[in-house]
Amino acid sequence: MNTINHGYSKLGEKLAKKEFILTGELEPEKTCDLSHTIQEAKEMAPYVVAANVTDSPLGIVTINSMAATHIIQREANLECIWQLTVRDVNKLGIAGMIMGAQALGIHNVLSLTGDHPYLGDMRESKPVFDLDSATLVKLVREMVDTGKINGHEIEAPPKLHVGAAANPNAEPMEAEVLKIGRKAEAGAEFIQTQVVYDLDRTIEFLSAIKKFGVPVLLGIFPMKSYAIAKGFDTFVPGVSVPKEILAKWKGIKTDLNTDKKLQKEAYDQSNYEFFKPFITELRKKNLLDGIHCMAVHYPRIFPKLVDVIESTN
Amino acid sequence: MTVITTKKPFEEVLTALKKSRKIAIVSCGSCAAMCQTGGTEGAKEMAEKLENEGFEITTIIVPEEVCDNRVMKKDFRQIEEELKDTDAILTLSCGLGVASITEVLATKHPDIPVFIGTNTEFMGMTERIGRFYMRCRGCGDCLLNETGGICPITTCAKSLMNGPCGGMVDGKCEVGNYERDCGWVLIYRRLKELGRLDLYSKLRDPVDWSESGHQREVVWR
Repeated sequence: MNTINHGYSKLGEKLAKKEFILTGELEPEKTCDLSHTIQEAKEMAPYVVAANVTDSPLGIVTINSMAATHIIQREANLECIWQLTVRDVNKLGIAGMIMGAQALGIHNVLSLTGDHPYLGDMRESKPVFDLDSATLVKLVREMVDTGKINGHEIEAPPKLHVGAAANPNAEPMEAEVLKIGRKAEAGAEFIQTQVVYDLDRTIEFLSAIKKFGVPVLLGIFPMKSYAIAKGFDTFVPGVSVPKEILAKWKGIKTDLNTDKKLQKEAYDQSNYEFFKPFITELRKKNLLDGIHCMAVHYPRIFPKLVDVIESTN
Repeated sequence: MTVITTKKPFEEVLTALKKSRKIAIVSCGSCAAMCQTGGTEGAKEMAEKLENEGFEITTIIVPEEVCDNRVMKKDFRQIEEELKDTDAILTLSCGLGVASITEVLATKHPDIPVFIGTNTEFMGMTERIGRFYMRCRGCGDCLLNETGGICPITTCAKSLMNGPCGGMVDGKCEVGNYERDCGWVLIYRRLKELGRLDLYSKLRDPVDWSESGHQREVVWR
């Protein structure tokens, strides 16, 4: 059981108080100007506890996630969960980054393996993977809890909460469940899952990892348009958007094509109608500690998600 | 075990040899012969191609193992005269061959450069001739007793100590378009078969690079 005793951040405090949590996601791009991301952060800020800031997802090089996290926190006044992959930096470098993050006012980190450079737009780059997603959690906990790194004193140690990822869609599921056990043993303080659409599978997975006692924020992906739903279904390996959703979204695209305002409302309402029973069922079974909404560039959905959370409380 | 080699593109060989005219070919009779990059046949083929480009072949030898300094000392004694009239040596062996030849000739012929006509791929398992697979990276700290005999350093595209990662879909790996098996799922399946999922559940520390991150040697006498 990974009990959180200290709130180094708003997220940490809410986890400690066992409050239901909503987090969002921001995806800085290949740019040195974060104004679009900051705008999006400002739009979601009233509704979420914190937002994840991605670290070159799909191995496509973007602005550094630690720098982006710092700037977004400062400019949008929104607490962030700094996503840190072990893909690009060795253990020595990562330990330094963790201290740097603390110095920059970053207090949440999500430990990720990271997509292999081979998938991205700089595939000739050396894959590092000195640590993995479990041993990064362990490293952060060592630095935070003992104030030491490799047995050496850190003069002013970092105070960060560290989370890990889980994939309910993983097959074979047992291989993933046992791996979550390792991340829990390493000291993960929260889990954010991969996007799910299959309720039965989600129940099975969350029930299986409940024994590890790590709070779970379920990854959801409300779809802003038919094109996004279709793209997600086609291009995200291992996650299928249910056929009935694709059909419904296609209907909205075709039927309301002349009235964009009505069309937007229909998409938003349909997301609400899909996710409300989904989340209700999981909360009824006491399997959820929060929701992690990964729908980037769709901040207008957050009031609806808050409605879902309040109505399922 | 075989050190698996493939042929370098001939243009690359020509570029390496461009300042030389008289070439001695040293073609390995062991691993490279098995990979059909060296041996008698490989040497013959290379000699013909080089002659067509205007090079003169001063000698061809096919030592039992080019990587063995003792073998090379003996074999070079047989071609002492030819070496006196050689601008460069081209070896058809693994990378160890270049090191071995250079070290053996260091005193008598330090002026003869040694070039290589192959690329060294990996230390391989042989299914049959023409089908060689990497199953071990020779990392120096074997984990196989704890991973059901399947090496995560080799079979996991990220060499993770705690896999599988999020790039695994239906037991396949994100690297290579989900065509290769995820190493950690192979380990999971094997350990399950052996009734040893306790080993799979173990949190493993990162690789200790303090000993394996630099050039290694085994010297015991």
